[in-house]
Amino acid sequence: MTTVHRLLDDAFAGVDLTPEVQDLKEEIRANLEARAAEIEASGVSPSDAAHQAFDELGDVSALVAEAAGAPSSTDATATPGGRPAAAARYASTAQAMLANRVRPKPGFVVGVVLGALVVVAALALAGLGAARILTLPAIVVVALLVTAASAAGFIVGFSLSQETTTNHPVPSPRAGGYYLATGLSVLGLLLALFTLLEAFPSWMYLVAGVFVVPGVVLFVGLGVTQTNRKKAWFREVSREHGVVGDRFDRDPEAAARFGIFTAVIWVSAFVACVVVGTTAGWAWSWLALVAGWIVFMLLLARMLFGEKPRTTAAPDDKG
Amino acid sequence: MQRDESSTAGDAFSADLLRGHTDTIVLATLRRGDRYGFEIYKAIRDATGGAHEIKEATLYATYRRLTKDGLVEAYWGDESQGGRRKYYRLTDAGRAVFARNVAAWVATRDVIDALLRTDKDTAR
Repeated sequence: MTTVHRLLDDAFAGVDLTPEVQDLKEEIRANLEARAAEIEASGVSPSDAAHQAFDELGDVSALVAEAAGAPSSTDATATPGGRPAAAARYASTAQAMLANRVRPKPGFVVGVVLGALVVVAALALAGLGAARILTLPAIVVVALLVTAASAAGFIVGFSLSQETTTNHPVPSPRAGGYYLATGLSVLGLLLALFTLLEAFPSWMYLVAGVFVVPGVVLFVGLGVTQTNRKKAWFREVSREHGVVGDRFDRDPEAAARFGIFTAVIWVSAFVACVVVGTTAGWAWSWLALVAGWIVFMLLLARMLFGEKPRTTAAPDDKG
Repeated sequence: MQRDESSTAGDAFSADLLRGHTDTIVLATLRRGDRYGFEIYKAIRDATGGAHEIKEATLYATYRRLTKDGLVEAYWGDESQGGRRKYYRLTDAGRAVFARNVAAWVATRDVIDALLRTDKDTAR
């Protein structure tokens, strides 16, 4: 195997050993060793096997030069694989967005709207049942909640399986996983919420936990194994302009502040929900959650899109 | 060079046409699981009947490009002996692009088949 090392050292002689070049060298070496071992197994001497493996490698000089950071002329012209040749250079992110725009499919829009209607209708009916305005047996309320959770999962899974302007679609099995995770989590949370509203006896909290825990575990599993789904043009624009994405991507401080505000809003909403429930009656307590949701959405709109002029003006002020 | 000349006479096979789809072929070899360079090379070599139609040096350039575009992710294996191997994993973006390229190939193949009327020729 030492012959492989020596031949490779010769091929990389005189090249600046940046981490990237070192990386490439180590990768090629492991592959050459595997190929040399294969040739050796057919009865060739180790030295000859190493030479043969190295000869099969082909010309790596262009590759090494590119890894070393040299501007390679071959890269732009030689892009086999049926792809559009060298990626177009975009003047701005907006222009790139426009050039690569993917419109949502009509079927998708209709599906999501129907799903949202099902969620709202099922929740409204279940809420009326819980408030004793409609006399519904508990099993019907549970069925309505299952329907709402399933529709919510459908919206999430269906959305992820769509190609968007910046993202490739998630493969069907993964989208199915997200459907399941969302459905289980939402169902568990809804059961807990309705138990809080005294629609069910308190042992229902246990059932809610049985749904929420696997749902969360599934979410974590999916999140950990999630691979890149950003499109190549978007990655390129991100590298060149560096200012793609929303404000939370660019400004981690704003994202952190938003996280704290979110926690405060929802904790307040839940506390208010319990307080209203115990004083004015549980039938009105859900209004606190709706109020919390409204404040949360206003905050999101304000923080995610606001304050753009200030970020561009800031450097001038200092200079 | 000798190969190319002999291939026109012997086996009817266009290496250039194959090389034009190197990216998609590499993505295809990763569909069943993560592989390192030599395994990818071997899979292609075995599929082409042992001929070295796609050079290893070309493949390294392909890995770099696919990684840059986010279609594959590279990570180092934990081999106890010998050099560490760099494995490649297909991403969701890679799967989507692969599916699209396959659809494009099938459509193109059908058009070329129709233009060349291969169906008629083989029927005779």
